[in-house]
Amino acid sequence: MAFSRKKGAEFTGDTVALEGVELRYEDGPRVLADVNLSIPQQSFYFLTGPSGAGKTSLLSLMYLAKRPTQGRIKLFGEDVWEAKRARLPVLRRRLGVVFQDFRLLDHMTAFDNVALPLRVAGAGEITLQRNVSELLKWVGLEDSMNALPTQLSGGQQQRVAIARAVVHRPKLILADEPTGNVDDTIAMRLMMLFVELNKLGSSVIIATHNEHLVARFPFPRIHLENGKVTVHEPAGANP
Amino acid sequence: MSVFAMRSDLPLRGDTSGRFVALLVMVLVFVGALAVTVNAYVGGLLDNWNRSVTGTLTIQIPLSDARNGDVNAAVARVIDVLSRHPAVAHAEAVPRAKVIALLKPWLGEDDAVNDLPLPALIDVELRAADAGAVDAVSTSVKTAAPGAVIDDHRVWLTRVVGLANGLKIVAIALMTLVTGALGLTIIFATRASLTEFAQVIEVLHVVGAKDGYIAGQFARRALIQGLLGGLAGLVLYAPALALVAWLAARVDAEILPTVQLTPGYWVAMTALPFAASLLATVTANMTVRRALASRV
Repeated sequence: MAFSRKKGAEFTGDTVALEGVELRYEDGPRVLADVNLSIPQQSFYFLTGPSGAGKTSLLSLMYLAKRPTQGRIKLFGEDVWEAKRARLPVLRRRLGVVFQDFRLLDHMTAFDNVALPLRVAGAGEITLQRNVSELLKWVGLEDSMNALPTQLSGGQQQRVAIARAVVHRPKLILADEPTGNVDDTIAMRLMMLFVELNKLGSSVIIATHNEHLVARFPFPRIHLENGKVTVHEPAGANP
Repeated sequence: MSVFAMRSDLPLRGDTSGRFVALLVMVLVFVGALAVTVNAYVGGLLDNWNRSVTGTLTIQIPLSDARNGDVNAAVARVIDVLSRHPAVAHAEAVPRAKVIALLKPWLGEDDAVNDLPLPALIDVELRAADAGAVDAVSTSVKTAAPGAVIDDHRVWLTRVVGLANGLKIVAIALMTLVTGALGLTIIFATRASLTEFAQVIEVLHVVGAKDGYIAGQFARRALIQGLLGGLAGLVLYAPALALVAWLAARVDAEILPTVQLTPGYWVAMTALPFAASLLATVTANMTVRRALASRV
């Protein structure tokens, strides 16, 4: 792996902290009500709950695509919605997001999709070529680097999406059903990638329906139901 | 050009609004080229006429003056007065043959022209082109030949200048209209693209793109479309210019003197596609920035 441990934490406190967060869609019902949640640095959480419970909404609050109707969100110690708008891209660059529907850019090759976070941040082409190629090799797509997403299978697209989310070594990885389209072998391989990134210092939150997957890893679980969150420590874990 | 080789985060293929911008820039550059040419040509004609007309007078001795004797005698008197006048550099009777020649384009080759009773004309060159000199010469001429008509071409020139300025105003108005239309089209085309590429923009946002980066993507696209459209406009204009030049060349040089196009004209022509592209680029950039600033 090309990932090297970064020097110490660049912020103090939790990676993400939600205080009294409410999310309500215009004239709609409350999706989230009074959510209080702290994600410490270098932690690993599963996010579970029935379909439509608001897992994706909770994640989108964390990757700053939505603004809470009430409450505060702190990311890397910064009160996000108190900060200036120009500050948001800087915070987003320390995030890696895997969407349930991948959201790859169809007119770009797998390589360019993965390179996007680095290019947006103004990385040099030489470093970029090396990092992207190495990562694509690691997720088993070295032969599909120049393929367009539409030429890839669902599982391959998912791996491109994951590679794009982690290529810039984010401090927080948010993944929405990242193993939904791949077989068990590849699912385990991708989980190992997340675990490794976690060991290197990233906090990871993985939303999933896959109870089997949750049972296989000793990570705590954020459970979301009826707009409320509860945090469950893994069975047998020391409090 | 490196701009064309630059990687873009926005899909350019099948981009209809972008093509529309290119088309409109093409029209703008064509109209702009036309306006610049009209401006240069009219300016050149005016200079030409101004130069040949100021400091000169044409004196007409009407046939009615013959009552006091021969027209030729009146002409001789006037020339005599003029040749001694301090303000006059040169005075010369226009030979009847030349007067007839000047009339032929209007009256035809008919021999009847030769029998027409024509006034005598005297061309006068002044030492200085000021109104005082014109007045002094007029007074002297009137004494020698009371019926003489003195034309300092000023009325004619004033009207020609009026026409020329009118043409310039029309050209500028046309430019302004098309420029405004281009600006509006770019604003609407860019907004349409923002909707069309909403998902791309969302992804760019999520991976940490700043508004300036996204606006830059649109601006670069507008620049490429603008340059392509602008060059196409100039290329289309070349045959139109050649046609107008050819038509003008067929007109008698006495009426339309040849105008030399200045280096400034060629600089303006070359600058047109770049100016239009710049307008397209800046407008697209500002439109995207404004649209993004109101988002999360």
